[in-house]
Amino acid sequence: MTAAENFEVPDLENQVDSEQEVLDEGDVAADYLEELLDIADLDGDIDIEIRGGRTYISIVTDEAGTDLSGLVGKDGEVLDALQELTRLAVLNATGERSRLVLDIAGYRSDRADQLRTIADEAIQKARETGEEVHLEPMSAYERKLVHDVIADAGLHSESEGESGRRHIVVSTLDN
Amino acid sequence: MLVDALDHLVRGVVEEPEDVQVALKSTRRGDLLEVRVNPDDLGRVIGRQGRTARALRTVMAALAKESIRVDVIDTDRRRG
Repeated sequence: MTAAENFEVPDLENQVDSEQEVLDEGDVAADYLEELLDIADLDGDIDIEIRGGRTYISIVTDEAGTDLSGLVGKDGEVLDALQELTRLAVLNATGERSRLVLDIAGYRSDRADQLRTIADEAIQKARETGEEVHLEPMSAYERKLVHDVIADAGLHSESEGESGRRHIVVSTLDN
Repeated sequence: MLVDALDHLVRGVVEEPEDVQVALKSTRRGDLLEVRVNPDDLGRVIGRQGRTARALRTVMAALAKESIRVDVIDTDRRRG
């Protein structure tokens, strides 16, 4: 432990409370998903991770294990549906709205790498041309990832379009 | 397996899990999963703009590996 950490005096009581809440969220979600895997006779290990106050649940198999791609679906649509139901199960059990992120077979982490590449290419294009760059439509979660990459690069981004067509527009700040 | 899976998914999101009933029926238009819940839970199973029912259908189609219908039965309306 470093000296700096010793000086921090966090509000212990609140911290324990919120930590407990996040743990419950993960446990409820893991139980809900684990039983589904059992019923469907699918092998999968469930990992719970908490980063920045958000719970991340991932279902993984070893390489020889079950193929979980059916639970991801085209463009992650089955994964999104399962995430939605899992969030509702948590809300139902804890009374707290859940923002948990579910990943299956590494789909979201692979997609995050892809989104970073898309964002980097848009940044480069906007800098070279000085013009707005429109990206493909993305879910709210995906747009958040891209907005963060654009902001880190010191460029400006906004979302445009309705529901299924909602997408990010990247521009240099002086536009 | 499909009945048990849907039963489990629905029980997790309702207030009265004991009232959940799922039945598999074969119809001329293919297999149909019928879901019955406590009338007070109907909104929870259907969701805002049918979002929850849609999520249930998406997951069940993935598990069935073919298209399967999922109907949420409004028991109140049937009786009335």
